[in-house]
Amino acid sequence: MAPRWLAGVVFMALAAFPLLAADYWTGQLTRYLIFGLFAMSLSLVWGRAGILCFGQAMFFGIGGYVMAACTMGLVGGALTSSYLGLAAAVLAAAGFAALLGYFLFLGRGLSGAYLAIVTLAIAYILEQTLKSAYTLGADNGLSGVPPIDLGLFGASVELWQETPRYYLVLAIVAAVYAALDRLLASPFGVVLTAMHGDPRRLAFFGYHVLSLRLIVFVIGAAVAGLAGALFVAVDEFASPTLIGFGLSTEVLIWVALGGKEMLLAAFLGAIAVRLMESTFAELLGDFWILALGLVFMVSVVLLPRGLIATPLGRLTSGRHRDGT
Amino acid sequence: MAEIAIILLNMASYVLVLVLVALGLVVVFGMMRVINMAHGELFMLGAYTVVWLQAAGAPFWLAVAAAPVVVGAVGLVIEAALIRHIYRRPLDTILATWGLSIALKQAVVLIWGPASHSVAAPMAAAIGVGDVTYPVYRLLLMAVAVAIIAAVFWIFLRTDFGLVARAVIARPDTAAALGIDTRRIYRASFVIGTALAGLAGALVAPLISVDPQMGLGYLIPAFISIMVGGAGPLAGVLVGGGLVGGTNNLATVWLSPVVAQIVVFLLAIVIIRLRPQGLLGGRDGA
Repeated sequence: MAPRWLAGVVFMALAAFPLLAADYWTGQLTRYLIFGLFAMSLSLVWGRAGILCFGQAMFFGIGGYVMAACTMGLVGGALTSSYLGLAAAVLAAAGFAALLGYFLFLGRGLSGAYLAIVTLAIAYILEQTLKSAYTLGADNGLSGVPPIDLGLFGASVELWQETPRYYLVLAIVAAVYAALDRLLASPFGVVLTAMHGDPRRLAFFGYHVLSLRLIVFVIGAAVAGLAGALFVAVDEFASPTLIGFGLSTEVLIWVALGGKEMLLAAFLGAIAVRLMESTFAELLGDFWILALGLVFMVSVVLLPRGLIATPLGRLTSGRHRDGT
Repeated sequence: MAEIAIILLNMASYVLVLVLVALGLVVVFGMMRVINMAHGELFMLGAYTVVWLQAAGAPFWLAVAAAPVVVGAVGLVIEAALIRHIYRRPLDTILATWGLSIALKQAVVLIWGPASHSVAAPMAAAIGVGDVTYPVYRLLLMAVAVAIIAAVFWIFLRTDFGLVARAVIARPDTAAALGIDTRRIYRASFVIGTALAGLAGALVAPLISVDPQMGLGYLIPAFISIMVGGAGPLAGVLVGGGLVGGTNNLATVWLSPVVAQIVVFLLAIVIIRLRPQGLLGGRDGA
């Protein structure tokens, strides 16, 4: 786990960013922060609890669509508050994860490769369903999602400028990071690590592995749902690509490249890959994706702990742990 | 009557292609626990081999015959450069082959462009029995597919190589202790698996649009077929492919293709959840 001072340095640097950069980049980084939040959710579920979810974008997409539907007034004309939208998005993603997790993990349950393929198939199903859901805009998605409105009781404080929006998102992301970091440092986090190591032995100690898996899956989904909700409010657009196969595998690459066992590394992995994408995509054109695929392949083989987590781990712990 | 015959023929040809793709996948997965997410792209490379050779003036059947050789050679390189480093980390094979699949897809985009290509069927004729007419090429495709599937079963169930390979699947360490070169068997199986994907891609190339995204449409159904049928016994692929492909194709008679696929996936997920070892799997399948 990354030490607190390191996380402090990272978030301070992110807070200083808008002072130095143009508005355009502040806007871009707002989105990357949200992707970083999303990456944290997968890092928790996959890296810390050993649940390889190949369809994590389903929770991001559910969060996004629920937020869009609420704030655009598709559910009820009066219930367009951003607070309500965010809460509904998080609850919807968490609720879906609870049902799905119960179905997937109960009894002998699915794990490993089987779980990966089944979650991938479910993300694919959801994407296809949304593409033909005409009330939700089908292929075109929902455009014109209103920005986050912090106003209460009729007052309106819409965040549509880049800088205040950036700081709001940064504050939320930092708060979620701090909460997850505390959670993982708590006895619950220790039990999670034990479950990742050997679930059967943990069960012999009297822990209920199903509930542990469910809890962490639901927390991960809630975080992903929050990220999705923030994303549509910032991007003002919700489309079926948010829920499906493409984003699910993209987040997997960010997390794996950054380092799945370390929340901070997964978070930075998402930001780094997106930043490089926007820089190199112009320079390298179509070769960028080819390069990303190859780098990903090499990193899985040679540095399975991740390209960011490995040096960070050496930097902070001093002693060098085995790579497998 | 004529309509029913055509529906059944279409179903059979889809099922046979799916079984061919899944067979390559299961040889690799059942044997080495390697989840090859790039299998769909190897299928795609088979189809592009035909596009490439036909553009160079080669006749269709020569191109089809060359496809498994070309793709098998690619498979050999992949095994040597990537897969052999991660045999002992099965979950990492998902990620590494996913990276490979992205790279292969993009390489094809760079060479042939993102647009779809069409491959001319070698024969446009249709055969008629009574009031049913059906394209000859589809009938030939089915015959070739059946022959290849039978050949793969023969290799794994009747030859010395198959016996050794099955010994390696059942007890890798014991097999190695008995002097079997397990690495060589793994390599041979991986190449067989990739060559099958290439051949399947080449055979269906005239029937579908050949584009860089074509692999995914077969990868997920193929995986689901394996899981429904059971990854242990080879025959699980026949059951799984038959059920998944057959139901999917039959459902399109009443439902739109998208809805049919969604329904089939959902049913398959329920079966996989209830019987993780697959319908034919006796022992621990996962």
